[in-house]
Amino acid sequence: MAELTREQIRDLMGAVLEAQGKTLPADDGADLREIGFRSLDFSELALRVEDEIGDELNFDAPGLRQIAKVGDVLDFIEQLQSA
Amino acid sequence: MSDLTAVPPSSVVLVSGGSRGLGLAIVTELLASGVKVAAFARTVTAELTALATKYPGQLHVGSVDVTDANATQAFVKEVEAELGPIDGLVNNAAVGQDSLHVHTSAEQLAAIIETNLTSPLLLTRFVLRRMLAKGLKGRIVNVTSICAQRGYPGLVAYSATKGGMDAATRSMARELGGRVLVNSVAPGFFASEMSAVLGQTQLDQIVRRTPTGHLTEPEEVVPVVRMLLLENTNVNGQVLVIDGAASI
Repeated sequence: MAELTREQIRDLMGAVLEAQGKTLPADDGADLREIGFRSLDFSELALRVEDEIGDELNFDAPGLRQIAKVGDVLDFIEQLQSA
Repeated sequence: MSDLTAVPPSSVVLVSGGSRGLGLAIVTELLASGVKVAAFARTVTAELTALATKYPGQLHVGSVDVTDANATQAFVKEVEAELGPIDGLVNNAAVGQDSLHVHTSAEQLAAIIETNLTSPLLLTRFVLRRMLAKGLKGRIVNVTSICAQRGYPGLVAYSATKGGMDAATRSMARELGGRVLVNSVAPGFFASEMSAVLGQTQLDQIVRRTPTGHLTEPEEVVPVVRMLLLENTNVNGQVLVIDGAASI
């Protein structure tokens, strides 16, 4: 499985937001609610990552609920890839 | 004149998933009502063991995984030898879910369906075969969920299995021709489940929308199960929702 780098994941996250006319801030500490990145957006990002790496990323919802900031999203996807 | 005792009250009831929560509450109530009870679960809890001590000869317990058909069938035979023929079954054992459908692995989907749908159908089939072979009449209660009728995120496969059991309930009631009364109880969310599966916002919203003003408690479901197993009613093939009218 080819893993994506943190920067590549960030690019995909930016693309998800851009498709909604939103912009991904450069700051990893940015609050997801403030930038309008919702749980389904996270799913869209995860599915885009899956397309890139050619493998499924499956996980339970509780982990998802802990995600509050841009950096949390990037951390979570990175951890999923290496799990 | 109609025969009002067509299906007598159950005298020996098998409860799957009887070691904690609603299952344990059902076991406790049935024992207090004088019924012989057999209960199994993957892990026999201290609470269930204490009941076995309190009700010697009236309760038979076992550590059995509901997905292990050979083990459940062996347990049924063990119960028959210990307590007598089973004429009541409560399909309570189930696993929950807390994952969005798109992120639930195929293996996890299969496991949920096996535990919550395939296994209870196999157990029911086996118990019915034993029951009918002995010329017995009986009662079956399937513990399903309001999720079978209403939508909640994170519970797609779980809801599908519970809806499947509700559908099976109706067809079994027809198929068994009144010789066995088959019904479902569909509780609303219990407080413990709610906090795990739904967020606080949704929890608060459901409570606000519930005319009785609170989430379902196991103690509110138990009397309905007892009625379906022990009372002389003509209730058959029904899904009884116990949620304080939250879902209407």
